[in-house]
Amino acid sequence: MSTSFNASQAKTNLDPVGKSVPRIDGKGIVTGQTKYVFDVSFPNMLIGKMIRSSHPHARILKIDTSKAEQLPGVKAVITAKDTYNIKYGSNEYFFPHTVDQMALESEKVRYIGDEIGAVAAVDEETALEALKLIDIQYEVLPSVTDPLEAMKPGAPLIHEAMNNIGVILPVNFGNPDRALKESYLVREDKFYASAAAMAALEPHVCVGQWETFTNKITLYSSSQAPFKCREALAKTLKMDLNDVRVIKLAVGGGFGGKLEMLPMDFASCLLSKKAGGLPVKICYNREEEFSFSRRKHGMYYTLKSGVTKDGTLTAITGEVIADGGAYCSYGPTVMAAAIMRTFMVYKIQNFRISGYRVYTNTPIAGAMRGFGGVQSGWAIESHMDLLAKDLGLDPVEFRMRNITTPNMITVNKMHLTTNGLKECIEKATEAAEWKKKRGNASYYKEGVWRRGIGIGIAADVMGSKMYKSHESAGSIIKIEEDGSVYLFTGAADTGQGSNTALSQIAAHSLGVKYERIKCKSGDTETTPFDTGSFASRVTFISGNATLRAGKDAKMQILDIVAQEHKMKIEDLDIVAEQVITRKDNKVLMSFDEALNLCYSFNYGKQIIGRGSYNPKTTPIDFRTGEGNVSGSYGFEAQIAEVEVNIETGEVRIVKMWDAHDIGKAINPQSVEAQIEGSLAMGIGYTFYEDLKFRNGRVVNANFANYRLPRSIGTPEMHTILIETNDPEGPFGAKGMGEASLLPTSAAIANAIDDAVGIRIKDLPITPAKVIKALQEKNEQAKQEVSEK
Amino acid sequence: MKNVTLTINGKKHDLALEGHETLLEVLRNQLGLTGTKTACEESECGTCTVQINGKAELSCIKLACDAQGEDILTIEGLADGDNLHPVQQAYLDYGAVQCGFCIPGMIMSTKALLERKPEPSQEEIEYALDGNICRCAGYPKIFDAVRKAGEVMKQGWQQAARPDEKNESRPDMEKITCGITYEEYVKTLNAGKTAEAADQ
Repeated sequence: MSTSFNASQAKTNLDPVGKSVPRIDGKGIVTGQTKYVFDVSFPNMLIGKMIRSSHPHARILKIDTSKAEQLPGVKAVITAKDTYNIKYGSNEYFFPHTVDQMALESEKVRYIGDEIGAVAAVDEETALEALKLIDIQYEVLPSVTDPLEAMKPGAPLIHEAMNNIGVILPVNFGNPDRALKESYLVREDKFYASAAAMAALEPHVCVGQWETFTNKITLYSSSQAPFKCREALAKTLKMDLNDVRVIKLAVGGGFGGKLEMLPMDFASCLLSKKAGGLPVKICYNREEEFSFSRRKHGMYYTLKSGVTKDGTLTAITGEVIADGGAYCSYGPTVMAAAIMRTFMVYKIQNFRISGYRVYTNTPIAGAMRGFGGVQSGWAIESHMDLLAKDLGLDPVEFRMRNITTPNMITVNKMHLTTNGLKECIEKATEAAEWKKKRGNASYYKEGVWRRGIGIGIAADVMGSKMYKSHESAGSIIKIEEDGSVYLFTGAADTGQGSNTALSQIAAHSLGVKYERIKCKSGDTETTPFDTGSFASRVTFISGNATLRAGKDAKMQILDIVAQEHKMKIEDLDIVAEQVITRKDNKVLMSFDEALNLCYSFNYGKQIIGRGSYNPKTTPIDFRTGEGNVSGSYGFEAQIAEVEVNIETGEVRIVKMWDAHDIGKAINPQSVEAQIEGSLAMGIGYTFYEDLKFRNGRVVNANFANYRLPRSIGTPEMHTILIETNDPEGPFGAKGMGEASLLPTSAAIANAIDDAVGIRIKDLPITPAKVIKALQEKNEQAKQEVSEK
Repeated sequence: MKNVTLTINGKKHDLALEGHETLLEVLRNQLGLTGTKTACEESECGTCTVQINGKAELSCIKLACDAQGEDILTIEGLADGDNLHPVQQAYLDYGAVQCGFCIPGMIMSTKALLERKPEPSQEEIEYALDGNICRCAGYPKIFDAVRKAGEVMKQGWQQAARPDEKNESRPDMEKITCGITYEEYVKTLNAGKTAEAADQ
């Protein structure tokens, strides 16, 4: 389903919130004029390349760069000896012990690709030639690339952490052991969720320049969190924050991979310093992007849960072991999300899941869209279906008996205010004709194809304190004499369309048309602070800041109008480009006339609105798992209808339904597009996205061998937007970027179970696994027959 | 070095090129036509698609010297000033654009398809765009845009694209958000309220 423009609908309301206005940057994109960092070039710009480890685990004995430095065209070579050797990390505030990565390593390398240094030369060929002349001597150490092996006593230690466990997160509420003992039925399942790549189309890229006279640096980076990048740069380069400027241009997709400073960002600045201030561009190619950026955590999930006879969950217990790769990155928060999302979905008093994030000699696992929630969604939602099956209950009915409700406080103190989960399930099942199709194998059977239908549900936060004690966002709205409205926001539009949504909020709160807004975002020197684009937080948090800025600017204009007309501000309003009196809806003057008044001889008042928002949350206490992490929570239900070929094991998706509680759709078209994109990503993850390693090296580092969803086979997608009008959200809106990815894999696996009665528990679901499961099922059936 | 004349977006460029230089490199690095993107440089993603003699081709595996005498069209050559090509307009209107990195290539593949077949079936659209990866959007909105653009192109887009002509596929946003008068707006608001009251 898609929304196109419905002019008649749109005309009933002048205000842009809730309308599918075109993207603010859309014209630039479709004409090829939009500039990405990838497109940026400066006079005398050098090309940089990283010097990387060729071993998964080794001690560095000697680095000799002299030959490379003498190569004509090489302008700078840096190694750890040019740095302060300061470690940086992503969860510094809550997990200081996970700050474990050096921008350039000098003693030890921990994965193939670990950064040791960098070169800058006049062109790429010369830079690559220089890399060949770098002489590094290693003492190769035994390596371990499997998390289960890495946890065993005697495994090679990658950092200091005991048994290579970098993060331990035990979450325990109630008395799960007793609850399990008293349960009518207990079942245990083991799941595996594979590692995947973000695979944003624009690879990581940056241009760094060190101004040698002022000792300031400017970094153009394709970043989801420019302010976080600035912080890490300033820390590792020992500079003041205000000496570092990070500028984000258009970003060609992030999906979590561009949340952190990579060593390349650091290196481009330092290379520029060594090269006398010439700008240095470092651009990953596809192989580097797959092998040396960030990836999803592979996770082993064990779940053991109990239910009463009537299908009420009594306890959920289990264990998560995550393959973290060589460094911690966003590991702690990924683990927290992988465990604690369950509380938002299911009413549960007795809960115990312990999370272990294990170091291995593989590329670094970080924060990929869903933050561990995709892996937990896969395990939990599959597990719930199996529990329902054991009870002989319809999976929808089983979920309905256990889901969270509006205005409830969960056992770990999350305050779920508006909660549309029930409505999501109802609307999705209704649209999908669940009752007619589920468990009814006869409604569709054609040759070797069998059809089935499955459900998955999920919930998500909108914001989370990750690297600071606060997670505030700021917005400034500047209105000029000629009526142009500039919105300055620190939020980073990475392609999801936040600049558009925030501009709509700005226009609506100010009472003007959307076309007036010009949005400037993601420049640490000229825009207010914002923690970045992650945790589905931008519409909710940056949106609230923008709403406040719009109201502030409006009040400033009304103040002048009120003075001029000897009226009270409270009696005035700006609606649809007109200043009106609230009482009788009379037009006093147009917005432009009001501005003329503000900038007139008598008043000469500049209109600069400001807004700041920090959600009223409590950070999670990581020792107990308690905390109201988000200002509001989003919910969703997803249904997949699949066809399984019983001869080849091929699975194809017929249709998917997604009902999503988004509070209020600021831009319905963008919301639908986000959901559809999530579904596609989820389908890819379910069937073929699997980043493979051999001895620590990524072996499918290209689009031919790492398959992404393509246009062929895209199923019909039906999105249903549930508007619960959250009192805390801007115009009632919640965040929604990630939730729709969480239950997709499980919904599909549940549908396969419905179609042919098999259960796949490790991703990706390949035809080979389906065939094997079908054979096992047939053999079992034969055995049962012969036993009888 | 070889002296080559390339015809790009109807303009002739005299260039001295090395034999190994690809069309993509020449477009982006020498001519500053950075609208054409690339995400793999090994013919797997379709991001660098341009039209050569009307056919969608990957500029990352096309040697620039071989393109002499051919008619090369890039994303920069589509719009006529402010007047967008129907494919561009449809991508914008139907929300097919997210991060936008795949969009120039996607638009070029779409245009090549629609010029060949203005009313493609769903299957034909899927096959024509299968070489173009989009990581953000899934593909449904792109399919919608392709179908709509085809309809507009069939009518002859020069006429259809004029903003004064009524055409459902090209909504005039001015009209949508501020085209009605304030009185009309209040009236609709009040009408809404009355309807609500009547409902209750």
